[in-house]
Amino acid sequence: MKQSRTRMYLSYGLMGGLMGYVIARIGFGDYDELHSMFILEDLRMLYAFAGAVALSLLGFIVLARRIPKQEKFFQPGTIPGSMLFGFGWAVCGACPSMVFIQLGAGKIPAVMTMVGIVLGVYLHKKVHARYFRWDTGSCVSD
Amino acid sequence: MEYWPWWVGALALGGVSLAYLLLIGKMLGVSGSWAKVVGWKEDRELARSAAELEDADDGEIEDALLAATLAEFGAGAMDEKSIDETPDSGATETTATQTVTHTPWTAHLTFLLAMFIGGLIAALTSGQFEIELQLSDTHSRIFGGSMEIWLSLLFGGMMVGFGTQMAGGCTSGHGLSGCARLIPASLLSTVVFMFSAIGLSLLMEAAI
Repeated sequence: MKQSRTRMYLSYGLMGGLMGYVIARIGFGDYDELHSMFILEDLRMLYAFAGAVALSLLGFIVLARRIPKQEKFFQPGTIPGSMLFGFGWAVCGACPSMVFIQLGAGKIPAVMTMVGIVLGVYLHKKVHARYFRWDTGSCVSD
Repeated sequence: MEYWPWWVGALALGGVSLAYLLLIGKMLGVSGSWAKVVGWKEDRELARSAAELEDADDGEIEDALLAATLAEFGAGAMDEKSIDETPDSGATETTATQTVTHTPWTAHLTFLLAMFIGGLIAALTSGQFEIELQLSDTHSRIFGGSMEIWLSLLFGGMMVGFGTQMAGGCTSGHGLSGCARLIPASLLSTVVFMFSAIGLSLLMEAAI
């Protein structure tokens, strides 16, 4: 039990480190690069992302038996939530992982983005429990 | 300041999403990790009650359930107890196996913090590291003064936090893991957030 716990923390740490490194080297932590993608000036990162999806698609076909049963599904928040996320992303240049890359590159104001994300997630938790109460099928539910 | 060409990035990012599935056994999804870290209190209580359930012997659980049933429905409910007994014991068993695979919120925190370290290493080794009081030249050009920069980031961050939770995923959960499995909700979500971001960026560009 003790050893599997250590292994679990090491796995999560290793995956986080790898993902941070890769995202940073693609350039997703750089608002200049991101903005030039969003105004359709330089689509390099969009191709990188699409290529990653294509590669994952092939990989998931091979690994089909290992994929957990849990599915994402339509729910009332899918469209308004995605819109809100898209607008926020265009403004602060950070999706929930890119904020760490910005901080890692030494961008001090990204601290503010981080505070914002924590507030946003917390606010959603409260608002959801009070008013929405639909199943969000969020990424990790265990 | 050299970034990877698109195909190196595609190989590496696709590799990360596959490695995550192989090593951790779940689909990659960063906003889910955020939700677990921000909701650490609930997660801690869940883990505690799971541990209590595991430690307590079956007789103890049964007595507690019995007492709770009596308090809730009165003695009348007990008449049906003998009928329900067999399916009841089965239900307890499945709950017990489910709680064993519970991932504590600290593992998700480790994941997020490691992402910062990975980004830091990438920035240091590729000469991109630079302490700056602005996000980037373009960001400052769009938002102007330092007050506006900090406020835009706070509100942008709040929209990202609230929006990803509401949509049930973000770039990694819907965009990468979901689209690669051709899940309709993820494809829709990805199209919506990409076009929202593109639309607003074009508007911001036109407004300066």
